[in-house]
Order: sequence, then C-alpha cells, then structure tokens
Amino acid sequence: MLSEYNMSSRGSSRSLFGNLDMVALGIYIAIAVCGVLCITSASFDADSTNIFSPSHNYIKQLIWVAISWTMGTVVLLLDRRFFHAFAIPAYVLGILLLLAVLFLGKEINGAKAWFEIGGIRLQPVEFVKIATALMIARVMSEYSFNINRLTDLIKVALIILVPFIIIVLQNDTGSGLVLGAFLFVFYREGLSKYVYFPILFTIFLFIAAMMFSKVVIFTVLLVLFVLYSIMRVGEVKGHIRFLAGVFLVALLLAVLTPLSGYAALMIACGVSAVGLTAVAIKTRTMMLLWSILMFVYAMVFVPTTDFLFSKLEPHQKNRILTFVGLVDDPKNTGYNVNQSKIAIGSGGMWGKGFMEGTQIQYDYVPEKHTDFIFCIVGEEWGFVGCFVVVALYIGLMLRLMRMGERIKEPFGRIYCYSVAAIILVHVLVNMGMTIGLMPVMGIPLPLMSYGGSSFVAFTLLIMIAIRLDASTSENDIYA
Amino acid sequence: MDRGYIRYRILRIIVCSVGIVILVKLFSMQILSDEYDERATSNIVRTEIEYPMRGEVLDRRGEYLVKSRVCYDVMVIYRELPKEGFDTMRLASILEITPERLKRQLKQAKSSPRAQILVTGYLSQENKLLLDEGGFKGFHTRFRTAREYPRKIGGNLLGYVSEVTADQVKRWDYYDVGDYIGVGGVESAYETTLRGEKGVSYRIYDSHGALQGSYNDGYDDILPVKGAQLTSTIDARLQEFAEELMEGKIGAVVAIEPATGEILAMVSSPSYNPDLMVGRQRNNNYAAMLHNQRQPQFNRAVKAKYPPGSTFKLVQGLVGLQEGVLHASQKYPCDMGFSYGSRKMACHAHKSPLDLKDAVAHSCNAYFCYVFKDMITNKKYGSVKEGVRVWNDYVYSFGFGRQLGTDLYGEGTGYVPTPEYYDRGYNERWNWGTVINCAIGQGDLGCTPLQMANLAAIVANRGYYYVPHIIKHIEGRDSIDRRFYERHYTMVDSIHFVPIVEGMWRSVNVAGTSGNARLEGWDVCGKTGTAQNPNGADHSTFLSFAPKNNPKIAISVYVEHGGFGASIALPIASLIEELYLTDTITRPQMVEAVRNYQPNYTRNYDLKQLRYDEKRKSKK
Repeated sequence: MLSEYNMSSRGSSRSLFGNLDMVALGIYIAIAVCGVLCITSASFDADSTNIFSPSHNYIKQLIWVAISWTMGTVVLLLDRRFFHAFAIPAYVLGILLLLAVLFLGKEINGAKAWFEIGGIRLQPVEFVKIATALMIARVMSEYSFNINRLTDLIKVALIILVPFIIIVLQNDTGSGLVLGAFLFVFYREGLSKYVYFPILFTIFLFIAAMMFSKVVIFTVLLVLFVLYSIMRVGEVKGHIRFLAGVFLVALLLAVLTPLSGYAALMIACGVSAVGLTAVAIKTRTMMLLWSILMFVYAMVFVPTTDFLFSKLEPHQKNRILTFVGLVDDPKNTGYNVNQSKIAIGSGGMWGKGFMEGTQIQYDYVPEKHTDFIFCIVGEEWGFVGCFVVVALYIGLMLRLMRMGERIKEPFGRIYCYSVAAIILVHVLVNMGMTIGLMPVMGIPLPLMSYGGSSFVAFTLLIMIAIRLDASTSENDIYA
Repeated sequence: MDRGYIRYRILRIIVCSVGIVILVKLFSMQILSDEYDERATSNIVRTEIEYPMRGEVLDRRGEYLVKSRVCYDVMVIYRELPKEGFDTMRLASILEITPERLKRQLKQAKSSPRAQILVTGYLSQENKLLLDEGGFKGFHTRFRTAREYPRKIGGNLLGYVSEVTADQVKRWDYYDVGDYIGVGGVESAYETTLRGEKGVSYRIYDSHGALQGSYNDGYDDILPVKGAQLTSTIDARLQEFAEELMEGKIGAVVAIEPATGEILAMVSSPSYNPDLMVGRQRNNNYAAMLHNQRQPQFNRAVKAKYPPGSTFKLVQGLVGLQEGVLHASQKYPCDMGFSYGSRKMACHAHKSPLDLKDAVAHSCNAYFCYVFKDMITNKKYGSVKEGVRVWNDYVYSFGFGRQLGTDLYGEGTGYVPTPEYYDRGYNERWNWGTVINCAIGQGDLGCTPLQMANLAAIVANRGYYYVPHIIKHIEGRDSIDRRFYERHYTMVDSIHFVPIVEGMWRSVNVAGTSGNARLEGWDVCGKTGTAQNPNGADHSTFLSFAPKNNPKIAISVYVEHGGFGASIALPIASLIEELYLTDTITRPQMVEAVRNYQPNYTRNYDLKQLRYDEKRKSKK
C-alpha cells in the first residue's frame, strides 16, 4: 500500500523531458490519433481532387493538433511557479472573455458561445475550464484554506458559480454543468460527505419528478424515511403506527373533502412534519431534524421543478423527457440519439472497418464529427475499439489522479484532480449521450471531437498537469 | 493511512465504475442485441419492386394481338419538393398535362407530404428521359407496361389491364396496391402467365435520399421475370373481318377449327377498341361503356343464353337416331306445321312428306317434333319425365347446359330444361306437349354462341369435340393443359352423323334454306336457325362447317333480332368461311349487303337506352 502511495521518488533524469510522465503523454497522443482517424473517416471525400486541401475537416484538425502541440511544448518549458502566479489573471481574463462573448459572440445552435475571427471559431468556455481549474487550485492550496469552513466553501463556490452563471446565460447549459466536476475535487480535498447527500438527493428528486406523479414520489419518500428511521432507532411498532396514521389522515382528507389526493397527502405530511420537529427539538435528536429538513426540502423542490419544467422551451423539455423515456419520438428530439445508438449498436465486436460504417458514411448520424464522434468508434471499430478508447480515457484519468497524489504540494494535486474530473464529466456525458445513458448536451468528447478550441484547451489542460507533475523531481532544473 | 488516500481510492473506484457502466451498456448494444443491426440495415436499405414486362399475345400466324410498351407513372413526394419552387410550366409540358392539373395534383399531394402520390400515368419513355434530365426534385417515376393493340380488335376476347382493387390485394399475396392485373378475356384467364414475376432490388440510400448503390453488391436482388408470350389460336385477319361484318349488329360469332378445338375467331358484338382501356382517357371511356345499354363489355360469345332455334334440330335428329326412335329413311308429313291437341307448331312451305336429310335441309319443324315426341314418350323410359331425363344426358354430352371447360374468362353454362324444372314451373302437371318446343330449339333452352359453334365442330367431327381454347402455345412450355388434347365423345355414335351431315350439305348445295352459303369446291355444310323471342324480331343464327370431309372450320353466327337465319347470320358465316378457306373474298356485293343490313333495335335496346338516359338525367 505504502509503496503505491509513496510515489515521489521518481526518475532522476537531468532533463525536463526525462521527467515527463510518459504514460500520460502516451495516452494523450493515442487519444488524439484516434480522434484524427475518426474525423478523417467522417469527412474524407474520395471524390475530392486534393485530399490535402485545408478545406477538409481532417486537415483542419491536423492543423489544430500542430498548433496545440506547439503550445503544449511551450507550456512544458514554463516554470511551474508561473501557473501559480498565472491563475488569477487567467481567471479574470476568462471571465471577461465569457462576458465579451455573451454580448459580442456569435450564436450557433442556439448558444451564444463563439467568437468568430476570420473563419476560425473560438469557444472561450473551453479555456475558462483551465482558468477555473488553476484558480481553484490556487485558492484551495493556500495554507489557511479549509474546505469545511463555511467562508472558504463559499469562496470556492463563488469561483465556480460566476463563470457558471455566465455560461448558462449564453444558453450553453451543457458546458456549464461541466464545472460541477469540481465536486469531485472537493471530495478529494476533504469536503464532508454530508454535502454530497443533498446533491444526490436533488438529482434523484429531479428525475423522479419527471417520471412519476407527485403522490407516488411522496408515498415512496415517506416509506423510505420511516425505514431509515427504523434502521437508526431500531423501534418498529411506533414507526408503523406513525406511517399508518399519516396515510389514514391523507386518505380521509382526500375522500371526505374536495381536496385532491396530492393536497391531502401534503397536508398530512406538513402537519406531521411540524409535530415531529417539536418532538425532535424536545428530545434533541439531530438525526430526526435532518430527515425532516430533507423531506420538507423535497416537498418544496418537487412542485417547484414541476413548475419550472412547464416553463422550459419545448425542445429542452422534449430532450429531457426523451432521455427519461417519457417521450418516444425517434424522428424528432430523440432522432440524433436514436441514430447514434443504431450506429454504435450495429458495430458488433470488431466493427465495420475504417471508413466502412454505413450509418456514418451515408450521413445518418448527425454531428458525427463533433458531439457524436464516438459513433464512429462504435460503428467502425466495434466493441473492441470502444473498449480501447474507454480504457484510454479511464487510464488517463487514473494516471492524472495518481500524478496528483505524488505531487507534494496541494496546488499540483488539486489541479491534476481538476483535470481528471473535467475529463470524467466530458467522457461520461458525451459517451453516455451517444449510447442513451445521458440526455443530449452539446459537450465534446475530449481530444476526439472536431474543433480547435476544444482540442487546444484539453491539450493545455493536460500539459499543465504533466508539467506540474514533472516538477516533483528533486532534480527539477527549474526548482 | 490518511483520509486523502482513502478518498483517492474511492474516487478511483468511481472513475472505474463510470468506465464499466459505459462498457456494459456498449456490450449489451453491440454484442448482445441484434436490434441495432436490423435497424441500421433498414435505415440505409430500401426495398424496391422491379416490375416485369407483361407477356404479349400473338395470333396464330405470329402477328401481335397485344403488345407491351414501356411507360412510367410519375409520382411526387411533396416533402422532397424544393422550397424555392420549380418550373411548373416546363414540367407540365413534359408530363403532357395542363399546368392547372399539375397544380391540382400537387395540392392533393400536400395533404400527405411523405407519401408517394401519383401525378399522372402513361408517361412515354422519351418524356421520362426529359423528366430525368430536368432534375425535378421530389418527382419519381415507376416502371410500368402499357398495352398496345396493333389491330384494335378483340376487346372482349383479350380483356384489359387495370389496377388491382383493395379486395384483390387482400386476397392474393402477390399483389400490392398500385399493381396491375388482367381483367376479362385472355388477360384475366392467363393472368399468372402473363404477369411474370416481380423482382426486388435492395438499394442503399443516404440520409438525404440520394442513391448510393446497391446493397450487398446486388447479391440479394431478384430480377423480374418477364411474363410469358402467348400464342393465340385467333386468326387476327379473320377476327378483324368478323368484327367488321358484325358492326352495328348485336350478337356473336365463334369459329373453331374442329380438328383441334382452336378458336379461330370470336366476336361479341358490339365490341370495343381495346386501346380505349389504356391511357389517360381510360376512365372516361370505361364509364361511357358502362352506360351503354348494348353492353359492349358483356362477352356474348361465351356468356349470352340464346335460344338455338332450328340449329338445335341437328341434336334432336342425332338423339332420335341413337335411341332408335328414328331411321334416316323415316318420312313424316308436314302440313305447314305439327298439330298436337288444340295447338299447332307452325312450319313453312316445303315438300312433304320428307326424310331426315331433307328435314335438315329444309329445316322442317314438324319432322323434329315427331322425332322429339317419339323419343321422350318412348315406352322404354316408363314416363315422359324419364324420357326428358335421358334426353338431358344426350344434350349435356353435346356440351350444352354446362361449361365446356375452355380457357375463356367467364364462360357461361347456357341452360337445358330438366324434368325438375318443368315440375316446378308446371306444378308437376306437364306432358310431352309442354316441352315440345325444345324439339326446334325454342322454349327454355339457352345456349351460348360458343356451345353452338362447338355443336358445329361436333357434327364436323362426326361425334366428338376438343375443348375449345384460345391459347395454343405458352412461351417456355412444351404444351398447354392436357384437357385440350382429349377428344370428348358425345353419346351419339359416329355412324348417325352421316344423314345429318348429308342434310346440312344438301341444305347448302342442293336445295334448302342455306343456298347462299355455297362456296364452289368447298362442300360447305350449314344449318340455319330463326329463333323466336318475346323482345322483337326473330334472332338470326347459322351453324356451318366446311369442307364436308376433313373440315377446317366450324362456325356459329348469332345476330339478335336479325330476322331469318338466312338473311344475315348466313352471309356473315359464309364470308368468314370464304376468307378463312380461300384467303379471298369473291362476293363483295355480299359484304356490302351485310354492312348495309342493320337489324332494328328500336323496340328493345334503343328503348332501354332512352329510358336509362332519362333516369340518369333526372337523377342529376
């Protein structure tokens, strides 16, 4: 165990490049190669007279790769302290860019998130991820910082919320949600696990609110909470009596008064919540108080979600409903996902071969070179190809985390975890979307999806992590 | 171990589980489920029906009766139409329809924008090329074959081709909505042979609807099989001539080659030009025919039930001879008719008494009344009822009162009255006097012109017939159905035909009712018939074959309300025989006379038409 944890004694190469983590670098290059191959398959045109013409997407992507690698090399040559110092200006610059794009940007696919300069599109949000990661690392690595202190927690929450709100205002909610990745980092840095329970509970309530009627949700919740209480206290009879009492009251109210079943249940729950609060305060049982608080939160959250949901744009509503499975409309909102699932599902074990995928080549998968690029892996390279690609990503994340662990100073560790977390969210949401596990959100697959901003940003993100990791060597020439 | 390291391990597990969840889902989609493979294939592959060319029909000399020509249906998918519009004037001129009509069709297509809607049919191949060249997006063509009739003859005989009805689609797997099917005549009787086999091609289309090639390199495609070519027994020249002669007359002509049962010509008049049933005017033409009370689409040659009149005396004589109630030399007197009880069956002036040959030649009513009466009242049957029953069996053996089993569509049975029929009609109180009008082919007897022609063939063959048929060869087969090669003998022995044939010969060549049918050197035999009927003038009919020995043609002509057998049916039959036997017409004045002879239909068909039209008008 310890040997695994104590990873700081690294190679003693004199040169910087001898200290680079070759595993991370190798995986990075492998993924980039896969990406270029997929983009080639999606955009290769055999009829074209000049297959090296820069009008082709794969040539454009190769140009971006070259630019990225140049920038990446520069990053590797920078002093590690530079990143620490650069964090605040980078963050401020990022926020300004976000604001600028909100007012001056170009709207594409409904999101006002792009700058267009001479035919080249840039998406500042990709770079804001780097800036935010650096900023978070810097703030959290301060000596006096304690994540479980409320003022510090609010500080980091603000660092995330400011760009998040601007991104949501750009109507690019998918990219905004990526910032949620930092919860992963906070967990590593010791944020109390009780903070995560309300978050998971909220997600659960949100999905439940879409799928089930409110009466069902609260009936189940009531039973679950009582069961939890029984487990904690170990007393059965009283709990059963309480549960039966609440349901009986609700039933009587629903039958005898013109109230709806939902209203009756709410009144019964509300009254018992007030009663139980009194009991909890009297007996000073914090556990009970927490449960009541969560339940009351649910009583507020579910109808609010319902209300907000009815205010959503039809296409957003449909996306969510299609994902939850309430709407089955393969030609409309679910069309993309449906076609994507068909393409991936028809790949089989070994795939149809490079540039042989019928769904890809005959244009049945929309956005095949950008958000749905994983379809090309699925259809043309089959399960084996998918396994390799998924393994590369998981390997990269694990490697980044390991790199973080062996960096002695918190700044590098937090930054590496941030990179791993951002990649995790991107991979989970993007792949999950193409195979129907996640709702459709327009976020790219790191290093594979076509697009300059994204490729440059992820390259820089990873290179900075590799650079910080390389500094751990005692013989760091810059130390 | 500090808390950070524990959390590192937990987070590692979370990262790995994300990967595992994705891979498990991928495994179930890619390896375990076949659903996506099928859907991927159905996404790109479209099954297209390849229509075969419909088989053609030749006449017995190899001339085309029915030809197939390539044409196209033009369909539109409204959704695929370019948003910026297109040159409607040009398209309309290519499609040869008015721009208004095109706009109307497009408006109709708008209501179901995804479906293929027919814009117009019967587009010629040249115009199809123009359409393709024009690049009209959203417009598609569907291969079809249209019928063409070089001689414009044989409307009822050949039938026509029409779209299948919803009912037919339900009944037979082969057909889908929009397919063509033969209706009536040869088209219907030989539908399965003529239609060929539809093919299937699997083509790959991209998501924009552009053709990308054939699926699996075309290995799964099935080529359409062209319908077989049929060689008909019809002599096109004879058919055309017969139709010409029957112009303006209502009735039928059937000519058979006795040695084979092949039908040489078959006319149901009024007929129609089969070309009327092809093309864009088809529906109008069809409706016009439907309202015509002369019923041009009713195939009288095989369906009509006509009283055979005196031609039936041949059967009576033969039955009498076979049953032994008559000898060829037996003479009966005829005093301008046959008296029974208080009634009398009238006859015309001729020598008396006379024997069987002369009775046939002069068509004596009285003679055959004696024969028929003697037959059915013969003691050996025990009762008249049993006598009629035996007579029935004889008549059936001549092909009357039943279907002959030909390959003609909608063959009728005619009608032969049975003892049971008389029992019902006369409350079981009837005797030989009740049925005596059958002796001369009147009363309740009903025969189709085909059956009468078959009788002529039986007499020509001296006692047997081949089932008449209209197709003698099917492309790709060695023979037609075996039933057409079998001789069907009547219950009358061959020997008894001698005096009958002799009488028919004398009727034409010595002295009798059929003198005008004489063709020098061809030994024509004939029998006239004049059938009374309650609707107007007598029906004129003539039954004949030639030559007497080794007959080459047997014919029956029936003209409704045509008067005496000799006045119109005989010359028509004689001219057809002449053309068939000698390839020439030596009596143009007779052709002229036939053309000019117009039976009077004012009391029946014309009156009916008048009333029908008035009723339609008042309904409107």
